[in-house]
Amino acid sequence: MNTLLNSLMTELRRGTLTLAALSQLQEPQYGYSLVRSLEKAGITIEQSTLYPLLRRLEKQQLVTSYWDTTESRPRKYYTLSSLGMEVYQQLKEEWLHNSKRLHDMLKGGKEDETD
Amino acid sequence: MKLIDIYIQEVTRRLPEKSRADISLELQSTIEDMLPDDYDEQDVKEVLTELGDPAVLARGYRDWPQHLIGPRYFDGYMTILKLGLSFSTAIALIAYLAQQVAGFTGEESILRLLPAIIIGAAGSVIEVAMHVFFWTTLCFAIAERFDSAKDGQPFHKWSPDDLKDLPDRAKERLISKVEVYGGIFWTAVWATGYFYADHLVGIYENRGDGLQFVTPIFNQDVLQLFMPVVLVIIVMELALSVLKLYTAKWTMRLATFNTFLQIISTSVFIMILTRSDMFDSGFITYMDKVFNNGWESWLVNGAMIMFLLGAAYNIYDGFRRAAKH
Repeated sequence: MNTLLNSLMTELRRGTLTLAALSQLQEPQYGYSLVRSLEKAGITIEQSTLYPLLRRLEKQQLVTSYWDTTESRPRKYYTLSSLGMEVYQQLKEEWLHNSKRLHDMLKGGKEDETD
Repeated sequence: MKLIDIYIQEVTRRLPEKSRADISLELQSTIEDMLPDDYDEQDVKEVLTELGDPAVLARGYRDWPQHLIGPRYFDGYMTILKLGLSFSTAIALIAYLAQQVAGFTGEESILRLLPAIIIGAAGSVIEVAMHVFFWTTLCFAIAERFDSAKDGQPFHKWSPDDLKDLPDRAKERLISKVEVYGGIFWTAVWATGYFYADHLVGIYENRGDGLQFVTPIFNQDVLQLFMPVVLVIIVMELALSVLKLYTAKWTMRLATFNTFLQIISTSVFIMILTRSDMFDSGFITYMDKVFNNGWESWLVNGAMIMFLLGAAYNIYDGFRRAAKH
């Protein structure tokens, strides 16, 4: 039962990770700073998922990256490309729209139960 | 810190060469970001625990498929595998048995040879099956990796119109599986007969201790001259059987294809039959003893007429059944 619930939850969360990451990449971020800003927003993400995700987004040309070597240790920064910005806006709208529908539906279901 | 270096190596050694340096540098800086300024081994262990199994992390970085054959190809793979395995093992079995018959000297009784024959047959069937399995899998695995449209799109967009070309499988199957597999079996049988004619196709006589091969009927050297075109016919016949399996009913296209096939094979049959050196000399001597003069033209003409009638009926039957539906 618990493993089933876990896998269902992971499945639920999986699709939202890209959106969450994109939302934080409107400003340049390096890997660990992105983890922290997501954590601050209350979103936990496996680090072993996040770093590969950044690479994938870069390959899909949604983000661009550059190495900053001016500081004490070199860091790779990622930021949204113009395509990434466009995609992010559309995903965001879709998400808000859908979650409102789902929210309404789930609330309605709850009221039925109490009847 | 040694642990960190080994961790990074464990990740990057699983990745393609060209991305190793960059990912290794990035991981290094990420891990240092996560560590406090003054860290000890315990801190390192905690950070690495958070990053998790290096194999899992590497898997995330790779965009090479993590499966041999994905859902896009799996159906096709299974279909080809089933067809390939059933055909090739049947042909291997027949070929093996034919070889045994050809090499049968009669010195030992069949019963004593039987275990060896069964083991040999199983061996050759398994060997062929393993080849088919291996090569089919290899081809599909390569296709999976070099397919440019990776986003899981099917090969062609389905529409309800596709249904029109398909048979209603709830009704009787218009071409029975017996017909299809029987056809394949028949191809395998006559092809074996053709290639081993000097050992298989001949006069057999019962001389008390089982059937004895007296003389072959055909001159194998002459038969061999027609090999290229016979191979074409074999391929066409197998193709026809596979098409029948796929369409499950006669269509005009199938009937046309069948017509070509019948015309070619009839022509080749007649070309072979009308060669004067076609019969083995042993066979001619044997027949001369048994029959009066003129048996040769009777035999040749009779065989030709039978074959022509058979082919004509076959062509007609194809079109008749195609027109019915």
